[in-house]
Amino acid sequence: MEQMQRYVSPVNPAVFPHLATVLLIIGTFFTAWFFVFVVSRKSSKESTLIKELLISLCASIFLGFGILFLLLTVGIYV
Amino acid sequence: MFSITCQNYRGLKMETNWILFYVTTICLIINPITADIINKNVERNLDIASQLVKTSYKIQVEETAGKPLKEYEFIVREPNLSFISVKDGFNKKLAFEEKKENEKSQVKYKITFASSAPQQTLLIETVSTKNILPYPSEIKQNDKQLVKYVGGLYLYSNYLTQSQRINIQLSSSNIIAHTQFRPFSVMSNKMTFGPYENIAKLTDDELFVHYENQSPFLTVNTLERTIEVSHWGNIAVKEEIQMTHTGAKLKGSFSRYDFQKDGRSGQSAVKSYKTYLPASATGVYYRDTNGNISTSNMNLMRESVDLDLRPRFPLFGGWKTQYVLGYNVPSYEYLYSSDNDYILKMHLIDHIHDNMCIDEAVITIILPEGSSNIKLETPYGIKRHQNALIHTYLDTVGRPVVSFSQRNLVENHIAEFTLKYNFSKVSLLQEPLLVIAFIYIIFLLTIVFLRLDFSITSHFHKE
Repeated sequence: MEQMQRYVSPVNPAVFPHLATVLLIIGTFFTAWFFVFVVSRKSSKESTLIKELLISLCASIFLGFGILFLLLTVGIYV
Repeated sequence: MFSITCQNYRGLKMETNWILFYVTTICLIINPITADIINKNVERNLDIASQLVKTSYKIQVEETAGKPLKEYEFIVREPNLSFISVKDGFNKKLAFEEKKENEKSQVKYKITFASSAPQQTLLIETVSTKNILPYPSEIKQNDKQLVKYVGGLYLYSNYLTQSQRINIQLSSSNIIAHTQFRPFSVMSNKMTFGPYENIAKLTDDELFVHYENQSPFLTVNTLERTIEVSHWGNIAVKEEIQMTHTGAKLKGSFSRYDFQKDGRSGQSAVKSYKTYLPASATGVYYRDTNGNISTSNMNLMRESVDLDLRPRFPLFGGWKTQYVLGYNVPSYEYLYSSDNDYILKMHLIDHIHDNMCIDEAVITIILPEGSSNIKLETPYGIKRHQNALIHTYLDTVGRPVVSFSQRNLVENHIAEFTLKYNFSKVSLLQEPLLVIAFIYIIFLLTIVFLRLDFSITSHFHKE
């Protein structure tokens, strides 16, 4: 007990709302890029699969963390 | 005179400490404890100004033969005894064990002194509930609440008591009737009975006081306290409370007009009460099934957050109310860690109102998902329930739940429990990964669907 330290959150709870906003904006940007990219593909024979997968991965990582911090901001402590 | 001899004795003991130690040890080995113990002087302070009976005893015990005294038997004849603490003359806590008795309202305690000496001082505090009863049990809105207390005039003891006195603190100077056993004196809201000399052992006589007591008779029937630990830096506390006014029941109808206009009306009714929360409490809510109860005030103090809770209606005798009180506290106040070991140290129950009395408290602790090796230590005996799992947001296997309950609690029971558990820091990433995986699957489905051809006609330009 004596050598134990007080437990602090890995992320300061004061920055939860800002983090949520920024991450969600970036996530939405990647999502928009993904859809614009996919729709504006000229022919279905073009091999753009890798690029699509990478953009969507970036989008989901940012959106995922964004949603998590949004939950923490509103008081759903997961 | 007594104190002088006592000091002399102590001085002597300091000088010849070692010799006395050996003598004591030898005496202890040779002589078993005999019943030559007497209570030289007993002073009892009885506080019946609230709904609780708080008694503090100061007992000077002496072994007449001069043999060292190691054990003492203390008998409590109060029903619903909730709390007891035993200290010696130096304000040190003493060990005691409870002995089961056949009689329901009698509990025997065997107290062991820290050191053996022929003269010992005992400071005992007890708190019991539901021993001050409204008499008459039903009153009208404008009537005063009168209560009756029945207890023991003498210290019920296994030993002869040379001299004893009892001081009673009442809530008002309006005393209807009381035991007339001389010598006694009454001074406004204080009464003194005694000193009574040379009372034989196991003497029982009734002490009875019938007086006015307008203090809130609020009983918390059930308290369900939920503590939810999140490793994102928050501990959420939620208390679901059901309380009843257990004073004299309201007879006849309730007139809101009289209640608002006449200051003497409904004096025993509970209009509001104070709850003290920890100083770091944020996001406090006070609501019931209808929603937020807006008639409450919150004051941020230096050492606590004071809540002035006002129920939707004044509580008269026999009336009930129920509500939910919740708040968040930062984890660094109560959670300690080193590597993967965590210790949660929090109050088992917290303050609800002054002189509170809780019939049954159920405490539930929800730990983050993936916690293991859970060990609970409580400051007093509790009834442990089986560990369970609860599923809330972003959970897969469920969060471990530790729960336990205890009956008949008072303010003196506000103490810390310790909960040890293991938790791996990597598990903290499980929740965001779950969301990321979910969103990525949607993207993958989009990619797949866009590559499928759903047209029913064939394209000309391709041919």
